[in-house]
Amino acid sequence: MKTQFAQLFVVTQKINRQHIQVVFVLLALVLFVLGAGAPSDGGVLPR
Amino acid sequence: MILLVAILAGLVVGLSLARLQKRPWTVPPLRKPWLVIIAFLPQFFNLYLPATRTWVSDDWAAVSLIASMTLLLVFCWFNRRLSGVRLLALGLAINLLVIVANGGFMPISPQTASRLVLPETLARFVIGDRFGYKDILLLPVQTRLIWLSDFLLPPEGFPYQVAFSLGDLFVAAGAFWLMVAQGKPLDAAKTIAKDNI
Repeated sequence: MKTQFAQLFVVTQKINRQHIQVVFVLLALVLFVLGAGAPSDGGVLPR
Repeated sequence: MILLVAILAGLVVGLSLARLQKRPWTVPPLRKPWLVIIAFLPQFFNLYLPATRTWVSDDWAAVSLIASMTLLLVFCWFNRRLSGVRLLALGLAINLLVIVANGGFMPISPQTASRLVLPETLARFVIGDRFGYKDILLLPVQTRLIWLSDFLLPPEGFPYQVAFSLGDLFVAAGAFWLMVAQGKPLDAAKTIAKDNI
């Protein structure tokens, strides 16, 4: 358990401001294309 | 889905080019990205989220879609100097134009819709019904600006079927180019393109 907490601490320390910025900008871009586009998805139809 | 693939493809190509040129890849420096989140919220609740979209009347959904897309155009204005954003704005403006011209939803013909759903499913719809998230089923004679509506389709044998508009193509191209050029100002993006030729 102690080791798992230590590993989690190491991982969270590696997440810096730049990572958050990347995720935020990608999220904004994804939401933009979902909001701006209007395709109608049919998906994979059984044939 | 088709638009998310454009972002992913742009990301892969952008990262690959950056690696080839031994330079770091950075995310596009978007201004006011929170504006996109605010703009998308009405669409999320009124069109996408199954739990809440049934509460909203078609009229209100149409108004909120138009307001949301207008706000996205404002976002484009703030970011107009970034490469790719003008293509995004053009696609968005085309979609907005045809949506406004047809009462607040993107028109799709029964013939096009028949490629997306099974015949028994399509039989449950009548002309004028909403179809999918943003579309409305209209006959071609009822459709204004039909060449800007969801009338484009992949080849018939293609395993994934989707109807899309000319505006969607511009949005996809803009998102792709934004990721490849990392949103650098237009002149800098041209330099990147020249370096790769």
